[in-house]
Amino acid sequence: MEVNPIIEVEGLSFSYNGGEKVLDNVSFELHKGEILGVLGPNGAGKTTLLKILLGILRGTGTVKVLGTDISSIPPKRLAKIIGYVPQEHHIVFPYKVIDYVLMGRAPHHGMFSLPSRKDYDKAYRVLDDLGLGSLADKAITEISGGQFQLVLIARTLVQEARILLMDEPVSHLDISNAVKTMSLIRKLVEEERILGAMVTLHDPLMASLYCDKILLLNKGRVETYGSPREALNPERLSQVYGVDFDIIKYNNRYILVPII
Amino acid sequence: MENIYKILIVFSLPAAIVLSLFIGPYPIPPAKVLQILFNALTLNPQLGSAAARIVLYYRLPRVLAAALIGIALSISGASLQCMMRNPLVSPYILGITSGAALGAAIALAFLPLFIPVELVAMITAIVAYLIVVAIAWGWGRGSIISLVLSGVVVNALFSAGLSLAEYFAPTPDKVAAIVFWLMGDVGQAGQWPDIIRMTLIIIPCSIVLVMARWRLNILSLGDDEARSLGANPVLERLFFASVAALITASAVSYAGIIGWVGLLVPHIVRLMVGSDSRQVITYSFFLGGTYLVLADDLSRAMTSQIIPLGILTTIMGAPILIILLRRAGKAWR
Repeated sequence: MEVNPIIEVEGLSFSYNGGEKVLDNVSFELHKGEILGVLGPNGAGKTTLLKILLGILRGTGTVKVLGTDISSIPPKRLAKIIGYVPQEHHIVFPYKVIDYVLMGRAPHHGMFSLPSRKDYDKAYRVLDDLGLGSLADKAITEISGGQFQLVLIARTLVQEARILLMDEPVSHLDISNAVKTMSLIRKLVEEERILGAMVTLHDPLMASLYCDKILLLNKGRVETYGSPREALNPERLSQVYGVDFDIIKYNNRYILVPII
Repeated sequence: MENIYKILIVFSLPAAIVLSLFIGPYPIPPAKVLQILFNALTLNPQLGSAAARIVLYYRLPRVLAAALIGIALSISGASLQCMMRNPLVSPYILGITSGAALGAAIALAFLPLFIPVELVAMITAIVAYLIVVAIAWGWGRGSIISLVLSGVVVNALFSAGLSLAEYFAPTPDKVAAIVFWLMGDVGQAGQWPDIIRMTLIIIPCSIVLVMARWRLNILSLGDDEARSLGANPVLERLFFASVAALITASAVSYAGIIGWVGLLVPHIVRLMVGSDSRQVITYSFFLGGTYLVLADDLSRAMTSQIIPLGILTTIMGAPILIILLRRAGKAWR
């Protein structure tokens, strides 16, 4: 049952309607117990890559999830493997937090069925577990951005997804909520409640603090892929972002800071 | 509090239906009305008396027509708002109304009398919807925005056709007939065969939407998230939109254009029992029926002449929504 790597991408290319390549020959792996940070400037192809792994878009090349080619995994089964934490977005209807989290049970239901008592229990348990119990009856539009991010993660846990894909989960959060969110992901991976996570990030600092592997994309190509120490070197980063970086050592981790 | 509202909403529909049977220009004591109803239910209608005929052939079908059309517009409005992720959507965005209006206008102005207006209206309404879907599918792969935009385009096109039909209508009284039809009135549908035909479409389709009420929650999250939760948003939306379109087409082709019900009732329900689709869909069903039955009572009771229902629902609806939004609009701000 144990499959490693849990996500395997090889030679992946993608373009919208035969236009310019948004992804060009991308290869990387996500191993069990890892957080993979995906970095790159806006338009580097990060979101497109996530959409391919969610089965929304289809590229050329190999994409395997838990050892199976993604094109042969039906959406409902894929939803039981991969949980998606979208970028901050506009919520149209002011659902209650508990009802929002409960929607994570959808892959376990058919089109015409309703969540059961058990589903509610599970949703409440996850909320309590993440310290969000007191928010359960609040409207999703009334809670803070940091709380909403945690609620989104709670939904993937209610979903019982094994792998998390997160689209810029911390880019709009203050530093305390960013740390809270990333530490939660770290904890979930360490406690083996999820097999691994793939997180797109803007901040090299967050990436070097929390990620086990880094995938640096630039214009759809892999600039570097490896451990933060290997992948996040100042020269590469300044090539990609056009800003000079310095590297400092902190708690056995190498941190990149922009030179201003 | 929410639970009290739920009970009130559910019981309001049968209560409104029965109470509405007491209202009308010909005075019949409530006890007599109940007696007539009881006799009819025990299959002993005793149609000899004028009162019995008035209750069973005039008032009851009219009230049931109002209830059915209210149910139809509200539940299709509620489900379309969810699946289109837009609280301003009404059942009329998918080209159905203007389609029905054009068909009715052609039938009223040009076609021989033996061709039923509602049949032509139903056909053109469905044709309009299919054009909307075809455009949205071909051009935008069935995305929400493509559906809404092609709805706008088709509405404009069919409205132009409607103006043409009015312009070329052979006589002024035919123009008047078109204008009156457009104002919307359940009296046009108030006969038993109409009721039965409407019921056969509206009730089964409504049951489908009520059964799928939790799924509509998922679709309201947007396509990427719905997909990540294992749904097939484009196909499912197309299916549910078609069900809602069929319901709307059936109501509109019999009753003309009755505005605001499909937009307003889901909002009243949200403010009373919360935004979750499981509640909004279910209780829009009941409250929509009640709302139109009461509006129709007003239109019959206020003056000796019946004011078109479509006008009344709008006049009634606007202040209700403003009051509710003021009181409970916190979450929407």
